[in-house]
Amino acid sequence: MTEAAPTTTPGLGRRLPAWLAPRDRERPGGGRTRLVETTLLVLAALLLAVATVNDVVRQTHTNHRLLADLRTWRAYTGHNYPELSIEQDFRGFTTKEVVCGNTSPGEPATRVQVCLEITGPVIGGRRVVHGGWYLPPNAEDLRASRYACFGSAKRPDRCPR
Amino acid sequence: MSVAAGGELGLARTRVAQWAPALAVVCGLVLVAVTAEIVVDAAVGHSALIPKSPAIAGWLRGIGERLGYRVFLIALLLASAAYAGLLAVAGSISKRWALILIGALHGIVFAGPILISTDVFSYIAYARMGVEHGLNPYLHGPFWIAHDPVYPYVGHSWRHVATAYGPLYTLLSYPLAPLGVRGALWGMKLEALLASAGTLALTWRCARARDRDPVAAILVVGANPLYVIYGLGGAHNDLIMLLAMMAAVSLTFAGRDALASAAVVAGALVKVTVAVLLPFMLLSRRRLAGLLGALAALALGALVSYGVFGAHGVDLIAALNRDAAFVSTDSFATEIAHLFGKPGVFPVDHAILKGALVVVVLYLLWRTWRGYDWVAASGWTLLAISVASTWLLPWYILWPLPLAVVVRDRRLLAATLAVQALFIAHQTSPLFVNVS
Repeated sequence: MTEAAPTTTPGLGRRLPAWLAPRDRERPGGGRTRLVETTLLVLAALLLAVATVNDVVRQTHTNHRLLADLRTWRAYTGHNYPELSIEQDFRGFTTKEVVCGNTSPGEPATRVQVCLEITGPVIGGRRVVHGGWYLPPNAEDLRASRYACFGSAKRPDRCPR
Repeated sequence: MSVAAGGELGLARTRVAQWAPALAVVCGLVLVAVTAEIVVDAAVGHSALIPKSPAIAGWLRGIGERLGYRVFLIALLLASAAYAGLLAVAGSISKRWALILIGALHGIVFAGPILISTDVFSYIAYARMGVEHGLNPYLHGPFWIAHDPVYPYVGHSWRHVATAYGPLYTLLSYPLAPLGVRGALWGMKLEALLASAGTLALTWRCARARDRDPVAAILVVGANPLYVIYGLGGAHNDLIMLLAMMAAVSLTFAGRDALASAAVVAGALVKVTVAVLLPFMLLSRRRLAGLLGALAALALGALVSYGVFGAHGVDLIAALNRDAAFVSTDSFATEIAHLFGKPGVFPVDHAILKGALVVVVLYLLWRTWRGYDWVAASGWTLLAISVASTWLLPWYILWPLPLAVVVRDRRLLAATLAVQALFIAHQTSPLFVNVS
């Protein structure tokens, strides 16, 4: 099978000026257009490559930090529970994270939970706990639900009780 | 170039040619081995990478171990390296060896469980909604059939979402609904397998029509790790869309413009994205038959869709707009937002991306009008859509691949493979920190 050649609509090409007329094939010598296009493509590829590498590094740091947060929560509370929830600070774009988990064995969030506010660099596989609060069973981590706050969280804007 | 330098180059080429068959065999075996490893491990289940599914590959259990991120990513990187090696020597691979390799990869994935994505369960749920429960899948999400056996397998994010797929695809999936979840799952897998076989056959045909090496063309598509593991492994309906797309290209090459544009419309009634081919095809061919074929197919499709699904079955643009607002962490838009210190993609970014896409499409339309290959322009548009999408999924970067192997502008293939490589690179962060 060979490709069937297209036909030009009669008259259409004649009615339009040369720079606007349709063509069946590109005119030879379009090297300049190709060069500009290729340059733009290479620049776009560079941007995507830099963004990808940056994101892989960012994700790796985040994963490293989250693992340290889990270890910190378990060491601080003395509970070796696997099911913990972690909330990252997407608004402030800081490295502060809140890790919540049950205070007694049970399904996730079905018991009284203790939440820890964890910040700072990873040292010895852990990070520093700056404060925290408790949550009643089956409650989401909303300001109104928090009680018995301690450390840096002991502020009216963070914790009502 | 001196005679001596020319002689050395010739000698080097001869040496490469001598090693090429051996390298092709090694790369092919690596591809088969890592694909088998993924499938066998996936059959064990209990992995975050494998959707919860009825046990359709129970006979593979006991061979592998639970598929973890680390093993999966190493397998994916090995498959990518082997694929790159295969492409380097594609010119020296025989038709027979290429077909055996592609057949083996397809067979392995077909025999195994559903990989990576829960989408196929949404397809089955929408089919069962229409056939078993008398509900319109364009009006309701699978939540409405929460008592149905397929419901536990539907992805949590999609349980309240009505279908965004075309009415032709929904109708194609209806005959599978009465087969039960397992039967429908095998039906979907078979549909994907046949669609892939058809796409590869048409890719072969189109490559020959354009004087390109057909063996290399089908190897680039059929042995592609994203195509095999994500596309075929997930039984995605994108493969049916690709079949219609390549049918349209093949029919255009044969001069059958009316049928070609009808095929594009049929593809768009499976998944609307492929509609982008139509303006390029019509501008390039400038034949009335093409326009009439598209209009006739559209009218027929709209009539059937309206008759079966009502007005919502025809309004695919609304579904597209809804999906365009989603954001995935793998999208390049999100990566660029992170690069510039933003936490993610905002509505203004969606507007900027849409604007950039419009500029690219208008430029490509102008180039097509002035004689640039419409198939290449369509491929660039599909690639631009996937790169600009804030909801990027791996099977979206497969869209331009079959077009890229049949066009003379080799930049399209290079760009498509580069985007795929970046996507794979972006998955690798769990390799650097041991995430369970």
